[in-house]
Amino acid sequence: MEFKARDYRAEEEVYSLPRVSVSSHPLCSSSSSSLTQDHVSIEFFDPLRGLSTEVLEPVEETAVAEKHHVGQPTSHLSSKEWTSFNKLLMQRFPVPKMISVSAFITWIFFPLQLSSKTIKGKKAIGEIPANKQSDELYDSEKSTEKGLKIVSQQEYISRLHELKDEITRSWRSDDRVTSLKLSIKVARLLMDTCVGQFYPTLFVLATDIMDMLGDMVWARIREKAEFADDGTKICNLSDDFEANSICFEAKETCNNWFRKIASIPELLPRIYLELAIFPCWRFLRNDFMGHLTRMVMMIRGIADPLASAYCRFFLIHCAQKLPEHDAGHLVTCISDQKIILRQIVSMKEIKCGNFLGDHKLLISLMEPTIEYTMRCIFKDPNQVADMIVRLELGKSPLELHGNVPWISIILHYLLKELPTEVVCSNALEILHLVDCSSDFSFDQCLNYRMLGLKLWEGIDQLNTVDAVVDEVIQAATKRKILDEYLKILDAYIDIILHYNMDRSLSSILSEIFERLCNEVVTEDELASLQSIVVKLVTHFDDMKYVFDLNYFVDILDVMHGSSRSIVCMHILTNATRNDRIDDPTTVKLLFDVAQSLHDNVDFSYMSDNQQAERLVARFIDKVDHGMELDRHLTFLVECRGAFSSMNDLKEILVHSSNLLAIRALKEKTNNLNFIKSCITFNEVTIPCIPSYTRQFILYLETAEVSLFGGLISHSDGLLDSAVCCLQNVYLVDGLKKSNEDGDGIVSLTRKLCSFMLLVPGNLEQGAMYIPKSILSLLDSQSWITPKQRVRVLCSLLSLSATFAQNELPYHAVHEEVIGNDRLFLGDAMYSQELGSLSTVILNNMIDAIPQEPSQVMRGKLALESCNSIASFLKVDDELSSVCSKLIETAVSCLGGNDKYLKSTINFVNKQSPISAGEERDAGKLSRGFGTKECPEIVKEGLRPTL
Amino acid sequence: MSVEIKLSRYNRTYRPNEPLEGKIITKLPSSISHRGIHITVNGSVNLQVRGGSAGIIESIYGVLKPIRIVKKSFEVQPSGKISAGTTQIPFSVTFNDGGNGGKFYETFHGANVSIQYLLNVDVVRGYLHKSLSATVEFIVESELGNVLQFLYNQFYKCKELPFVTVFFFSTAIFPEKPISPEMVFFYITQDTQRHSLLPELKSGGFKISGRICTQCLLSDPLVGELTVEASALPVYSIDICLLRVESIMVGENIATETSIVQTTQIADGDVCHNLPLPIYVMLPRLLTCPTVFAGPFSVEFKVSILVTFHSELYNVQMKPDPRTFRKWVAMESLPLEVVQSK
Repeated sequence: MEFKARDYRAEEEVYSLPRVSVSSHPLCSSSSSSLTQDHVSIEFFDPLRGLSTEVLEPVEETAVAEKHHVGQPTSHLSSKEWTSFNKLLMQRFPVPKMISVSAFITWIFFPLQLSSKTIKGKKAIGEIPANKQSDELYDSEKSTEKGLKIVSQQEYISRLHELKDEITRSWRSDDRVTSLKLSIKVARLLMDTCVGQFYPTLFVLATDIMDMLGDMVWARIREKAEFADDGTKICNLSDDFEANSICFEAKETCNNWFRKIASIPELLPRIYLELAIFPCWRFLRNDFMGHLTRMVMMIRGIADPLASAYCRFFLIHCAQKLPEHDAGHLVTCISDQKIILRQIVSMKEIKCGNFLGDHKLLISLMEPTIEYTMRCIFKDPNQVADMIVRLELGKSPLELHGNVPWISIILHYLLKELPTEVVCSNALEILHLVDCSSDFSFDQCLNYRMLGLKLWEGIDQLNTVDAVVDEVIQAATKRKILDEYLKILDAYIDIILHYNMDRSLSSILSEIFERLCNEVVTEDELASLQSIVVKLVTHFDDMKYVFDLNYFVDILDVMHGSSRSIVCMHILTNATRNDRIDDPTTVKLLFDVAQSLHDNVDFSYMSDNQQAERLVARFIDKVDHGMELDRHLTFLVECRGAFSSMNDLKEILVHSSNLLAIRALKEKTNNLNFIKSCITFNEVTIPCIPSYTRQFILYLETAEVSLFGGLISHSDGLLDSAVCCLQNVYLVDGLKKSNEDGDGIVSLTRKLCSFMLLVPGNLEQGAMYIPKSILSLLDSQSWITPKQRVRVLCSLLSLSATFAQNELPYHAVHEEVIGNDRLFLGDAMYSQELGSLSTVILNNMIDAIPQEPSQVMRGKLALESCNSIASFLKVDDELSSVCSKLIETAVSCLGGNDKYLKSTINFVNKQSPISAGEERDAGKLSRGFGTKECPEIVKEGLRPTL
Repeated sequence: MSVEIKLSRYNRTYRPNEPLEGKIITKLPSSISHRGIHITVNGSVNLQVRGGSAGIIESIYGVLKPIRIVKKSFEVQPSGKISAGTTQIPFSVTFNDGGNGGKFYETFHGANVSIQYLLNVDVVRGYLHKSLSATVEFIVESELGNVLQFLYNQFYKCKELPFVTVFFFSTAIFPEKPISPEMVFFYITQDTQRHSLLPELKSGGFKISGRICTQCLLSDPLVGELTVEASALPVYSIDICLLRVESIMVGENIATETSIVQTTQIADGDVCHNLPLPIYVMLPRLLTCPTVFAGPFSVEFKVSILVTFHSELYNVQMKPDPRTFRKWVAMESLPLEVVQSK
């Protein structure tokens, strides 16, 4: 067997593409405009974005159906807002499984008994009961039983749904009196505030029914106004119709509804029902806002604070349905609410409503109603000035009163909704307002916070920063509890940083540290502290400034647990944003930070682990010791010690150390020892990495570096270790190795082969030691598929063929490393060894191909082998029979038409002795190819090219 | 085989001088002959003594002889035939031709006094057949005076009248509201009560003030305002009670019955002090009518403000009734004059 002699330079010249110099870069953006135009013209639908016009309706998971207002001219937005607010309301207060309800409403759990007499009673003559009529709507006996009953939440809700269904059903069967009666029953449920946490849910469900009734009544009267009894159309009502365009009959019906509702004896159901049909006032008169004012006043009659708060809430909702509404009712609502809250706040342990003593719960239940009211008050930006005056907040938006105490919960939502510019131009006054509004209804600290956040929002419009910050710090310092102190200042840190108020900052930090030293830090405090520290960290570009801040490092030391980790991550993120970190103090501090992060992170959680690890890796990557390479290596050694739990990080360390070695090499100074220590560092580090595949890659990389530095013995050792890794790959890296992994290892092996070309043959172990080990590896490893085996064998064949050349295609850079071509020049033993090796390879190859299970793959492998044989070896008779056998296999597997097959046949023919003009052998070879399937193609393919 | 009356107005409400119009609708399986279709307007005041201040003897008499207001018969069609299927026969009658000079009281259904107007249709069918008939109640609202009616017509005819005259007519004769709402101020304290109160209420004291209309249009709500200024005990409920006082002459005596028409709660629980609460009570139709003082009977109204206080000792939850005096209820009753609108 003989190797083909190759002239690599000539081949390169022949095979490389012709190169033409161009004036502009083909990937440059000159043609980009046409590209973007293309993008626009293509109808591209981004599934994540959707079409902006089509807003998808949120799927209702609760029973509150999407409200479709039957022709009622309401702004769609507000009803949507209401729905979503209601949903939040139900989620906010988790409902206990069992609800205690007042005994007097337990009737709803009994089937309804309606005497048919009273239903139709008013229509027929003579049957009008003299005295009973006013009681007609009030037939549910008011039990005088006292005390509470327990029902399940499920039962309660399902009963409400049943009631709703019954109301719709009787409405559809023209039994509107029953519908009204049932609705009154539902409204009466809202009188019972014993249900506590369930009240908001009850409210949502009940008002859903109220709204439904309101819509049905509206639709009915509208129909009466538009159509006569016999169905002829009288008129067409536009959305902004006037009351005088409504016919008498419709007005009468409408009046009857209001009268009927007005006869409900109890206050609360009467209010709810009238509110439900309130928009119908429009059929009766144009000017009906006076009635809204009356309704607001009527709510004052409900003494239960919770019931009245929710009743106002419903009033505001109903008022939104009116075409134009003056905000007077909102102002009265909030001022009434204020009076009630003031009463609650001033009470100590007096019973108010059903909330004996538990005022906090009561206020938290009322909170959403206040929030909604405030939102409505400041909804219209044009009315802000007017509202401020009417709320008695100030004379104008520019002149607020600062010393009138408010109820803190109302103040909170006021601040939340007040436009930023008003807050900013009255910062001091509002601060005084917050100062003097302190009661248990809402944490005052949160109001300070809210103010701070608002000010930060409009930071550019703030004129009185210094005064505000000073006063806030004073107010905060008065707070005994650290958490409160931190909560307040957290909101102002951004402002302080923005205006570089160093004096304030340092005083805050020293105060924090002092307080931290004096008490045990709780979780809440840690969270606030974390927020402050993170703000500090992210504000500065250079971590040097942060570390230089007084007490910063000390404060950091006090922190622990997850907040510390979070702060550490922020510090590292921020620090690694810059190109390089070279300040030794900063490096040291950051190293400590990273180490504490490493110590804190629980490595059982993958996500935490990965982010922390990535950050530490970035940090190590960014650290730059300049020319002090030794020091950097020491740093790497320290890192290896400090971050022992981070496995991926070790890889980075190996890469860094290799990089360091290369840098040292480039310096061209005599630093062989340093390079050696880098390599040694790697030799020690690599075995700690659990994955053998990764070890292999790193060994190979380090071997390359060491060869680059001329350290042949090191590279030999590393290659040995690499081969060992290959042997262990399967044993450790998981039993179920997928094909991709296997393919990865194969390609790594092939890379090793190509690297081997640079490595001078080891005289002790034999020049072909490593290729031979690979060869034996192929036999010993059962996981290697025939396909993978053939591919490695091809590379090995290529390697041995290249070794046989007189001059190798490439050489190591280092002058002391001599290539095998010069080392074994004219060595007969060497050539012989190569020859025998390639014979073994060839045999292995031929044996391996038939083992491939996939037919197509088998054909391809046969062609691949055939190609490499033809390109590396001189094709003599023996080999051409081998080739013809391989091609036969390929033809049987792929069929005669395969392009690869054709080009391979072509190639083999060129290389074979026939092309050299020995025509007599043509018949012999063609006989070899004489397959029955496609003799023509074979013939054609084998015809001597002339 | 049926006959029914369908009145022209949806709410079946007519004024005495207005023509009463409608249709007689017959649904017949086969055509019949008849001896004339007649309709009868029948209006009467029915008086009944039931308890109240009347003595035992009076109640034995029970129903007194009804006072007839009107009874008139009209022939809609002379004898003839009605074909099978649905037939509509329109009619129009004026039941007040000014002849009898009797007063047309408004329709009213009370406990002792009931004023009712019925319209009856009869299809007379000879001796062998039962005549077909149907009855429907219609509601009478009092009319504007005849003179006023005349002027009213003039007012709309004579558009050329000088402005001043029109103005005169419109303000003097047809004011939008003929009476100015007369507000009466009231105070309810422990000293204004004529019955005994709970001792803690008597000693601790309370003050509830307000104002309320004592004249009210039938179509309009009864309005007013109420403020709890002070109270030793927490308020349990404040209700506005509308009472009807019906009196009937029975021989020499007057039988009077006071009944609750409607109760409207305006405060539920211990409301905030010094916050005015609105009083807004709609008068229920049919159960109220303009205040009437006729010879044999009268219908008057009263409004009572009932303040129930919270007491641990008594069950205060029962429905408040101004006719019974409870230790935990303070009240104030005022006469209410109800007037027909327009």
